[in-house]
Amino acid sequence: MIPHAPILAIVLPLFAAFLMPVVGILARRRGIKRAREWFAIAAVLVELVIVASMIPALREGQIIPGQFPVYELGGWSPPWGINLAIDGLNLFAAVIVAGISALVVIYSFVCMERDHGLDQYYTLLFLILAGMMGVALTGDIFNLYVFFEIMCISSYALVAFRRKWQSIEASIKYLIVSSLGTSVILLGIALLYGMVGSLNIAHLAQKLPLEPTSAIIVPLALFVTGFGIKIAMVPLHMWQPDAYQAAPSAVAALFSGATATIGIYAMVRVVYTLFGAFAIGIMLAVLGLVTMVLGALMALAQRDLKRLLAYSCISQIGYVLLGLGLGTSLGIQGGLFHLFNNAIYKTMLFMIAGAIIYRVGTSNMDRLGGLWKNMPVTAMLFGVGALAISGVPPFNGFASKWTIYVAGIEAGQPVFTIIALITSALTLAYFLKAFNSIFLGQRPKHLSDIKETPLPMLFPIMLLAVLCIVFGVLPQLGIDIVRPAQEAVMNSGGYISAVLGGA
Amino acid sequence: MDFNYIIAMLLVALGLYCLLLKRNLIKIIIGLAVLTDGIHLFLISLGYRSGGIAAIVSGEMFSDLPGFAARAVDPIPQALVLTSIVINICIVAFALSLAIYSYRHYGTLDPSKLRRLKE
Repeated sequence: MIPHAPILAIVLPLFAAFLMPVVGILARRRGIKRAREWFAIAAVLVELVIVASMIPALREGQIIPGQFPVYELGGWSPPWGINLAIDGLNLFAAVIVAGISALVVIYSFVCMERDHGLDQYYTLLFLILAGMMGVALTGDIFNLYVFFEIMCISSYALVAFRRKWQSIEASIKYLIVSSLGTSVILLGIALLYGMVGSLNIAHLAQKLPLEPTSAIIVPLALFVTGFGIKIAMVPLHMWQPDAYQAAPSAVAALFSGATATIGIYAMVRVVYTLFGAFAIGIMLAVLGLVTMVLGALMALAQRDLKRLLAYSCISQIGYVLLGLGLGTSLGIQGGLFHLFNNAIYKTMLFMIAGAIIYRVGTSNMDRLGGLWKNMPVTAMLFGVGALAISGVPPFNGFASKWTIYVAGIEAGQPVFTIIALITSALTLAYFLKAFNSIFLGQRPKHLSDIKETPLPMLFPIMLLAVLCIVFGVLPQLGIDIVRPAQEAVMNSGGYISAVLGGA
Repeated sequence: MDFNYIIAMLLVALGLYCLLLKRNLIKIIIGLAVLTDGIHLFLISLGYRSGGIAAIVSGEMFSDLPGFAARAVDPIPQALVLTSIVINICIVAFALSLAIYSYRHYGTLDPSKLRRLKE
C-alpha cells in the first residue's frame, strides 16, 4: 500500500482541481497544446493507482496503526477526531468511482475539445471526484455531508457548464431539488447529534438503541429522503432526466456511473451500518420495484437517446435497491454486483450517446437512422451495452440480475422476482427500439458522410465493453470483487470495532 | 430555551412552504436560505447553555476541569454551523446566478415556465 493512501485519495483530486487553472495559464503562455488534458489524465491515473493500492492491503488484513484501515486525521483517535475508515464497502465504491472517473477524463480529451473554458471543466470534474472520494472514505457523518455538498455543488455547475437554455433549465431544477435533499440530510445529522452527541458513524451506530423508537425513525426517514433524491429514487426522480439530458455527455457518463454509486453507498452505509435498520429493507425493496417499473415505462416513451438512458438509469437503480432491500446476503450480493455492472454499462452507453452527438450533433432518435454503415464499431458496442443492460446472457447484466431474481425467491418474495423479470423484458424492448431507430432503418441523406467515432473516444468504450463480456462469462470473478463489500454491509459490528478498537 | 427550537422549526416550515409553493425563482432561493438557516438555528441551540462560557481552557480553569465542563457551551455545533453557512452561501450564490441566466434565456422567473426540455 502507498503510505497515507486514504487521505491522498481525497487530497490529490483537490490539489489537481486547483492546479488546473494554473496549468491552463502556463500552457497558454508557453504555447503548449492540450497540457491540461494530459495533466488531468496523469492525475486521475495516479488517483486510480492510489485507490487500487488499498485493495491488497485490505484483503490481507494489513493493519498500520493510525493509518490503515482507520486513518486518524491529525492523530486524534476516534470518536474524538475525524477519521477515514476503510472497509470492503468503502473501497468497493471508491474503486468504481476512481475507475469510472479515469475513463471519463480520457473520454473528455476528444469529447469536450469543441467547448470553451475547459480549465473550469476539469477543475469541476476533479472537485466532484474529490467530493465522491471523501464521501466514500470518511467515517464521520458530518464530513460525509460536507463532501456530499462538494460533490453536489460541482455537479450543478457541470450540468450548467454550456450555459445554453437546456443546461440552465436542468441545472436550476437539479439545484433546487437536490439542495432540499442535502438540507434534509443536515437536519437528520442535527437530530442525531442532539440525541447521541457524536458524529462518528461507528460511535453513533454503537450508541443508538437497537429497537426502532419513533425518535430514531425521524432521522432515518430524513436520510433516506435525502440520499433518495441523489440516486433519483421514484418519487424523487424529477430532476434526473433533465440533468442527464442537458449535461455534456462525458458528465452524464460520470453521473450515471460514479455519482449514483456514491448515492447508493451513502444510503447503505447510513441505513445498514449506522441505524442497523435491516427491517426497513423491505420498504427499500418496494421503492426499488416502483422505481424500476416506472423508469422502464417512462424510458419506452422517450424520443431522445440521452433522456432514454436517464430513465433507464432510474430503472437500473431500482434493481440495485431491490437487491439491497431484500436484506439477505444473496440479495445484498446481487444488489452490489448490479451496482458494479450498472456503473460499467451505463457509463459506456452514455459515452456512446456522446460519440453520436460528437459526430452527428443530435441525440434525437427521430433524426437518426441507418448509422450502422457509418459507425459499425459503435453500433456493435451499443449492442453489447444494450444486451448487457437488459440482462441477456452471456453479458454481465445477466449474472447480477439472475442473482437478484434468485435472492427474491429465496427471501420468499416471488412476486418481486416476477416484476423484475417483466421489467427486464421492458428494458430489452426500449433498447431494441433505440438500436433500431439509431443504427438500422432509413438513413437520412445528410447523414451519409458521418465517420466512425474517433479512436481516443472509442478506447474507453471498448474497455468497458470488454469488462461487460468478462464479467458475463466469468460471473464468479465479479462475485469475488463484490464479496468483501457484501460482508462489510452484513457485519456492521466489525466496522464499529475496527474504528473504535476495544473502546 | 424551548423557544429556540420552536423558532427553528417555524423557519424550516416557512422555508419549505416557500420552496414548494412559490412561483418565483428568487423567492424559492430565499426559501432555501431560510430553510437551512432554520436548521442552523436548531444546531446552534443544541449546544447552547444560558450563561455558558467559551469552550477554551485557559488560566485558572485548569484547576477546575469538571466545573469548566459543566459551564462551557458545546463547540462542535458551532463548527458545524460555520461550515454549513459557507456551503449554503455557495449554493445561494450559484442559484442566483442561474436565476439570472434563466431570466436571460426565458424572460421569466416562473419555474413552471421552464419546461422546454420535456417537449
